[in-house]
Amino acid sequence: MSRFSRAFVLLACAGVLTAGAWKYSFAGEEAAPRIKEYTPNISSQEYEKRYNAVYGKSTEKMAEEGNPADFMLDDGKDLFGKAEGSAGKSCASCHGANGEKLKGVAATFPKYDPAINGINTVALQINRCRQEHMGAAPLKYETYDQLALELYVKSLSNGVPIKVSIDGPAKPFYEAGKAYYYKRHGQFNFSCAICHVKYAGHMMRANLLSSNRHHADHWPAYRLDWGAAGSFQKRFRGCNKNVRQEVLPFQCETYRDLELYLTYQANGLPIQVPGFKM
Amino acid sequence: MPAVGRIKIRMPHTISRGQVVPVDVLVTHPMETGLRKTKDGKVIPAYFINGVDIFYGGDRITHCDWTIAVSANPFMTFYLKADKAAPLRIVYKDNKGGVYQETVQINPR
Repeated sequence: MSRFSRAFVLLACAGVLTAGAWKYSFAGEEAAPRIKEYTPNISSQEYEKRYNAVYGKSTEKMAEEGNPADFMLDDGKDLFGKAEGSAGKSCASCHGANGEKLKGVAATFPKYDPAINGINTVALQINRCRQEHMGAAPLKYETYDQLALELYVKSLSNGVPIKVSIDGPAKPFYEAGKAYYYKRHGQFNFSCAICHVKYAGHMMRANLLSSNRHHADHWPAYRLDWGAAGSFQKRFRGCNKNVRQEVLPFQCETYRDLELYLTYQANGLPIQVPGFKM
Repeated sequence: MPAVGRIKIRMPHTISRGQVVPVDVLVTHPMETGLRKTKDGKVIPAYFINGVDIFYGGDRITHCDWTIAVSANPFMTFYLKADKAAPLRIVYKDNKGGVYQETVQINPR
């Protein structure tokens, strides 16, 4: 190799390095995201029509006939009344034997909490309660007991319309969730909004792409694909994996912001848990 | 962990004598096929319900042979002519010797 070509290789390497650095500094711009908003290709009436043509009431019917997550709900009720931790208290000691004081509370979640300076979800709040008031160990996310307890707490708000607020301090977190939703990620260069806003109501092979209006109202849900119940954030991870995107841990800041964004889209719809999904 | 073999039976609330009623039965079971592998390549052993017996009063009214093709947490519906006041008993048997059963009393008017 001549001296000239060696110098050229070195120069090229330096170029690659600086290009890499430039890329990362570009990614650091996320503090003030510029997003391109999409509008749905079809109207909501047209979406309803197409949804009914493809699925009809099949999932509602299956949920009514026999939802395997109903057993999980019974277990959640037992866990709610079970004393744990150093304080010798159970959830029922503060919130009433059948959770009377929690009726309608889950409909306002996720919401801003100054104590964590972020968005608080039902699953996170349960674990915080366990640590701060019961002196018990936090439950590992997506384990059977954690889901059962979350499911029971949410089921106390069944039928209550979702009423999530994004005013005041929650606003920047809502914007961050929205930015994640509209930003393109991963190997396939998809954003959530491409499928669930712009092309909602179109067919993707045999599946109808769902609209983000109806995403948040029945989680945790039993999903036939999983053969088990799972949380909303497990679904995020599944979606991320499908588009070759980075899969984030449960209850991380991004997913909590995203949960706030999606739950706000479902404002006004009644909570129905446990849900039943294809 | 979710318990195996919990059964839920769903029927109309009031039944008249001789009426044909749908009976919905749900059972929790992993229904492992024996064809799946874990991440480190070990085969997950087969574990599935292979026989269902339905008794009405003293008689066995039907028997089903199930295979690995049935989904996890199987749900089934059958129709029953309610012509006597008697218990309806549903018994599931799996390939590891587990027996799960549930009884519901039928009182047609």
